[in-house]
Amino acid sequence: MVFSSITFLFYFLPITIAVYYIVPNKFKNLVLLVASFIFYYFGEPTYVLLMAFSILSTYIFGRLIDKYKETKYAKIWLILALIVSIGLLVYFKYTNFIIKNINLLLKHKIDFINVALPIGISFYTFQMISYLVDVYRGEAKVQKNILKLAMYVSLFPQLIAGPIVRYTTIENEIENRTHTMQKFALGVRRFIIGLSKKVLIANVLGELCTTYLATQETSVLYAWLYGISAMLQIYFDFSGYSDMAIGLGKMFGFEFLENFNYPYIAKSITDFWRRWHISLSSWFRDYVYIPLGGNRTSKIKWLRNIMIVWLLTGLWHGAAWNFIIWGLYFGILLIIEKLFLGKYLEKIPKIFSHAYTLIIVMISFIIFNGENVNQILTNITSLIGIGNVSLISPESLYYFKSYFIIIVIGIIGATPLIKSISNTKKYNKIINILEPITLVILFIICTGYIVDGSFNPFLYFRF
Amino acid sequence: MQEKTKNKIIVIGFVIMLFLFFIINLIKKDEQISVTERRKLAQFPKVTFQTLSSGKFSQDFESYAIDQFVGRDSFRSIKATFSNYVLKQKDNNGLFLLNNSIYKMEYPLNKANVQKSASKINNVYKKYLQGMNVYFSIIPDKIYYLEKDYLKIEPSEIEKIIKSEIQNIKYIDITKSLKLEDYYNTDLHWKQENLQNVVSKIQNEMNLENTSNINYETKQMGNFYGAYYGQLGRKVSPDKLNILTNNTIENCITYNYETKKTEKVYDEEKFKTSSDKYDIYLSGATSLIQIENPNAKTKKELILFRDSFGSSLAPLLLENYKKITLVDLRYINSNILENYINFENQDVLFLYSSVVLNQNVFK
Repeated sequence: MVFSSITFLFYFLPITIAVYYIVPNKFKNLVLLVASFIFYYFGEPTYVLLMAFSILSTYIFGRLIDKYKETKYAKIWLILALIVSIGLLVYFKYTNFIIKNINLLLKHKIDFINVALPIGISFYTFQMISYLVDVYRGEAKVQKNILKLAMYVSLFPQLIAGPIVRYTTIENEIENRTHTMQKFALGVRRFIIGLSKKVLIANVLGELCTTYLATQETSVLYAWLYGISAMLQIYFDFSGYSDMAIGLGKMFGFEFLENFNYPYIAKSITDFWRRWHISLSSWFRDYVYIPLGGNRTSKIKWLRNIMIVWLLTGLWHGAAWNFIIWGLYFGILLIIEKLFLGKYLEKIPKIFSHAYTLIIVMISFIIFNGENVNQILTNITSLIGIGNVSLISPESLYYFKSYFIIIVIGIIGATPLIKSISNTKKYNKIINILEPITLVILFIICTGYIVDGSFNPFLYFRF
Repeated sequence: MQEKTKNKIIVIGFVIMLFLFFIINLIKKDEQISVTERRKLAQFPKVTFQTLSSGKFSQDFESYAIDQFVGRDSFRSIKATFSNYVLKQKDNNGLFLLNNSIYKMEYPLNKANVQKSASKINNVYKKYLQGMNVYFSIIPDKIYYLEKDYLKIEPSEIEKIIKSEIQNIKYIDITKSLKLEDYYNTDLHWKQENLQNVVSKIQNEMNLENTSNINYETKQMGNFYGAYYGQLGRKVSPDKLNILTNNTIENCITYNYETKKTEKVYDEEKFKTSSDKYDIYLSGATSLIQIENPNAKTKKELILFRDSFGSSLAPLLLENYKKITLVDLRYINSNILENYINFENQDVLFLYSSVVLNQNVFK
C-alpha cells in the first residue's frame, strides 16, 4: 500500500487511528503490528511470509547472540544471522543480475530464476542487521518479546521506503511512549507536507521526466529541463516519503530521526551526503566503513574502504550497472574531495562550490535514471549541446512554459527558506492562523490529484 | 491564536476529514457509470483466495476506491483548476482549455505507429483495391489550427509516410478547407454544418458533381457536451449540435452489419439516450455499415474507410452515390472484408483523423 492512495488515506488510516487510540496502552503495539502486516499484505501478499520468516530468524539469532554474549559463540551466531538476512536479500534482489552477467561470459546460458523483488526488503534487512549488530556490540538490549520485535521491523510508516530506523532509536518508545495533541499535530503537519511534496511536485515533475525519456529529439533546453526536473523529482519523492513516515510515526507516538537536511544547499559532495538519505549513509558508516577501519588506517586501505562503501551504496539502490556506476562515481568524487579538492571548495566563493555540487548531483541522477549507456551519454552530452541537438525545440519551449512554476516552487521548496520564515517569531500570529488552513487546502488538493491520477508508486519502492 | 489551539484545530480537522470521507464512502451507493467521463466505473472487486493472494484485490480495490470516491467530479475539478491557475500548467492530462474550447494534445508524431497504420491500409489496397480509384485524406486535429505555441502533428508528415508505403493513391489535402470554428468546443469532432468546403474539395478531387448549390435544412438538436468536456473536468458552456438534412438523406436506409438492423441516417433517438450525442450520426461507432440511396441519379458507389468523423461527412456525399459503404478498420480485420463487400470499381476514400493514424489502432 502506498501512502498517496485512497486505500491508505481514507480506509487504512482512519481505521488504524481509531482502533489504536481506543484500545488500552498495553495493546497498542499489537494493533500496530497487525495493522503493519495488513499494510504489507495489501502491497505484497506473496512475501508477507518471507518477512515473517526474516523476523523470526532475527529474533532467534538475537536471543542466541545475547545468550552467548562475551563468548566466541556470539560472533558465530552473528555471522550466521548475517548470512541468513544478507543471503535472502542477495537471493531476491541480485540473483538475476548475477546470472545475467555470468551469462555474458558463458557459452551455455544459465536460466533466470522466477522471483520478484519483495517490496521494502532492502530497508527491513538493513534494520534487522543494525539490530543484530547492536545487540552483539552491547549497544542495544535484546528484545525478548517477539511481537515487539516484529512490530519494530514491520512498523508500517517506515517499512517499505525508509528511513532506516535503527532499533536503538525507538528502543525505549517500543516499551513506553507518550501521545500528545502537540505530537499528533506535528505529525499531521509533517504528513501533509510530505504528501504534497510527493503528489503535487514529484509526480507532476515525473510526468515531464517520462515525456522526456520517451522523446526522440532532444535539445539543450530540454536536456536541462529534464536534468533539473529529475533532480527535484527524486528529492521530493523520497524526502516526501520520509516526511510522511516521520509524521505518521509521531501520530503513533514515535520519534524517527531526520532523513534529509536540505541536500541541495550543500557546498560539496561530502556535504551533500551528510544531508541526503542520512539514515542510509550513517548505516554504511557505522556498519561497514568504521568496522573496515574507516580512515584510521593506511591511505590505501582508507581509499579501499571508501570505494567498498560506495560500491555497496550503489548496489543497494538496485541490481543494475547504472546503480553501480552511480555509487562508484560518488566514491571517486568523495576521494578527490578528501585528497585535495575539498580545501579549494572551502576557499572559493560559495556560489561556485554550490554550482559544482548541484551539477555533479544532477549528472548523478541522470546516470541513476538511465536505462542504458547510450541514453545516459546522450542525456549528459545534450546538456552542453554536443551531438546533433538544437538549442531550443518547440517541445522544450512548451514544457518549459508548462513546468516553469512547479520547478520554481520545487527549487524554493528545496531550500530552508519557508522553514525560516515560518520559524520567525514576529509572524507567529499569522502563521498560527494560516497553518491549519493551508494544511486543509493542501490535503484536499492532494486528494484531488490522487482521485484524478492513476496509480503512482514511489520511486524508492524498487530498492 | 495560541499554539495549543492551533494544534487542536489541526488534529481535529485532519481526523474529521479522514473519518468523514471514510464513512460517506462506506454508506454511499456505488455508481455504475460516470456520465461526465463516459465510462464504466470500477466496482467492488471480487474477494477470493486467488485475488487476495495475487495482489489483484488490492490493485482493484484502489481503482474502485478512486472511481467511487464521493465527490469524484469535484475533486477532479479541483485538481484541474489548481494545475491550470496555480501551477499555470499548459495542459492537464494532455487537455487544455483555450477561449472556451477544449483541446487534447496528440503529440509527438509516432512514426512507427503511422508506419503501422499505413501498412494496414496498404494491406487493404493490395488485397482489394488495385486498379480502382483510391484516395486518402487526413483530418487534422483541431490543435492544428491553433497558433505556433502548441505542440501539433503536421498532417503533411503523415501524408509522407503513407505515400512512401502506398503508390497509386491520391492524396486530398483538406487542411485548407477547415478552420478552427469548424470544430466543436467541447468535442474533438467537426461540425457537420461547416463541412461544405471539405465536401467541395473532395468532390472536386474525386471528379464528382459539386453539390454546393443544394439546400439542406439545418435541424437544431440542442445542447451537446462533447467527449472532452467530461475528461477536462471543468465547467465549459455546451455546444449546439445541428444536423443537415434533405429529402435524399431522409429517404436513405442504413444497414448495420454488426447489429443487422436498418435505421435512418440520423438516429435522433440516440441523441436523447446515448451518453455520446455524436452517435446521432449513423448510430455511432461500428465496424461496417452501408447507406443505400433509393433516389440516386447515379449508379456509382463509394467505399469509405473512416473513423467517427466520417459518420457526419458521409450523408453530405449521398447526392453523389447510390450506395456508400463505411468501414472502420479499428473494429474489423480487413481480411474478412471480402465476405461482406464485393470489390469492383467503386470509388474508395480513406478518411482518417491524424489522431487515429498516430495510434496504431487498426486491426
